[in-house]
Amino acid sequence: MDFFLLLVATGLVSGAAYGLIAMGFALIFKSTGVVNFAQGELVMLTAYISFSLYTTFDLSFFPLMLVTIPISMLIGLVLERLFIRPMLGEPIFAIVMVTVGLAVILRGVTIMIWGPDPFNFNAGIPTEVVYVGSVPFYPAQLYLIGALAVMTFAGWAFLRFSRMGIAMRAVAANETAALLVGISVSRIHAVAWMLSAAIASVAGVLFAANFKLAPDLWFQGLKSFPAVILGGLDSVIGSAAAGLIIGLIENLFQGYVGQGLREISGFIVIVIVLMVRPYGLFGSKDIERV
Amino acid sequence: MKKTLFALAAALLASTAAYAQDPGVSDTEIKIGDVNIMTGPASFIGKAVSVGSKIAAAEINEAGGVNGRKITVVTEDDGYVPARSFQALTKLIEVDGIFALNGTSGTANVLAMMPLIEENNLPTVVTTAPNELVYNPVRPSVFTVGASYSDAFYGQLKYIHENMKVENPVYGLIRQDDDFGASIEHGYDRAIKEFGVKEGPRIRFKKGTANYAAEMAQMKQAGVNVLANGGIIAGAANILGEARKLDMDLQIASVWSEDMPPSVNLSAPAGYDYLVADYVALDGPAIDAFMEKARKYASEDEVAAINRYTYLTYVGLHALAEGMKRCGKELTRACTIEQLRGLKDFDTQGVSAPISFDNEKQLSGTALKIYQLNSKDKTFKTLQDFTQY
Repeated sequence: MDFFLLLVATGLVSGAAYGLIAMGFALIFKSTGVVNFAQGELVMLTAYISFSLYTTFDLSFFPLMLVTIPISMLIGLVLERLFIRPMLGEPIFAIVMVTVGLAVILRGVTIMIWGPDPFNFNAGIPTEVVYVGSVPFYPAQLYLIGALAVMTFAGWAFLRFSRMGIAMRAVAANETAALLVGISVSRIHAVAWMLSAAIASVAGVLFAANFKLAPDLWFQGLKSFPAVILGGLDSVIGSAAAGLIIGLIENLFQGYVGQGLREISGFIVIVIVLMVRPYGLFGSKDIERV
Repeated sequence: MKKTLFALAAALLASTAAYAQDPGVSDTEIKIGDVNIMTGPASFIGKAVSVGSKIAAAEINEAGGVNGRKITVVTEDDGYVPARSFQALTKLIEVDGIFALNGTSGTANVLAMMPLIEENNLPTVVTTAPNELVYNPVRPSVFTVGASYSDAFYGQLKYIHENMKVENPVYGLIRQDDDFGASIEHGYDRAIKEFGVKEGPRIRFKKGTANYAAEMAQMKQAGVNVLANGGIIAGAANILGEARKLDMDLQIASVWSEDMPPSVNLSAPAGYDYLVADYVALDGPAIDAFMEKARKYASEDEVAAINRYTYLTYVGLHALAEGMKRCGKELTRACTIEQLRGLKDFDTQGVSAPISFDNEKQLSGTALKIYQLNSKDKTFKTLQDFTQY
């Protein structure tokens, strides 16, 4: 029983990391129709920035995030203005290719500034083991699960009740119609990038606090992508839930079946789910009128 | 008139002799190539390698060079990408006209460069990728320094088995699912069979895995208390972090990358005094003397970048220089290769075991020293001197 609980608990931890990163992907896709292939790099860059803030000012976790999140949002805005805004009206494929280029640039810049060495980065979170029942956790693991819960609720509330969130959903549903009713689509795009960068920073800092800060952190973006597909590309909340599902499945497969099945187990589930629901567990069904 | 003709003939003869020399050699200089990881996440290895060549070249040059010729090291970045290694070596051969090669990047990279090395009969010393694929089959101009991962893990497990008196030992292995991991498992296998100890799980993981929670939960459940940790750098540290969380009492054998300062900084907080086997010295008078040279010939930043890979290329360039030196003034690639083939017990001033290439595989430095980390002060102590396994 302890073994099962341990697998579930740690599956939730890695699932929370997947979920947070996946939420960033989904938010941009929902608002702009673009898959941002630089999302993993955004996670990495904001984590490194937070690391510099931490080493300079010796902040504890919450003050650190209070500083990191606005800076990350500013970075999201700048990236959108510099790389994405000039591409408005261009084919989606071209914009996606710009994000691929942006990813390479961000990777290079990160190593240029911080170097290739990995770092221990506890982000001001205590490192003593704590027990929830009989299951041991590092506090950073609990923070990660907690952050996913908070971000999911905040994301749901934002999209459901705020003016900006409703406008974002309108743009996602029909960009032209949204434009005709006076919604500034370009502004919505910018906000989506800002919020996505904010989520990326939370994901990056907590991932680094759990699994070290290294220049290959960007790779977690690719590893989290299946969660976006499973949850539904345009479902922010669905991506979060799908992250947890994949994390749990991976850990249980590894624990009970083993030998490399961790990597393929998530994909097996995705293939099965997509065969039944091609738009993901929580994605919108595209209706094409002929 | 006769005198003029004689002088002209003598000059012509002299210049013919000069033209008979291979590329990369002039009266005053020998160009040595270095293909290296200078950019990307693994560039801390390349930078360390580069410093080793720089220190060795400066030391040799200050002592008068190789029969009066100064060594110049020309470095090309490959970003750890095999295709780029091939391009880099093409450039070094075609544009820079190097005479020999010392830095060779990783295993896949040196293998990608092998056709060029063979085609140009380029004297090459491989110190950073002592993989069997590099020396089997033997390429006439390639000389390898280093032990195998298999021996390194066998040696550490043997030390644990004989000296650490673990109660009711249960051995476990966690390793990457590639050639590197297979080599570790080979040594682990040898140890398990030879010692007849109880065996726990053998777990494989994909390169780039960050979360080892399920894997370490399996180890804990099986009662593993001797772990062969095939993770590297952040991976190894994450494995130890999970073990600490589960309060596991472990003796640990590790990959030699875990003796580098960045790895130690990541792993030490878990509090495990793990073992490492390496084919270079990490402490003692040889390293003290080396660091003194480093401070003399390298900048502060370069000294900070020093790790085991620095010692290796330093040894590699000294061995190469010795081969060239033995050719005298008439330096050719063929002669250098011949002289390297005859190199026996070449003294590296204690930085590694003495170098001997006079064997079928042209392979040396296979003896391993075993060290143990003190996780509190992040230093290593020698448990066992260079030993052949």
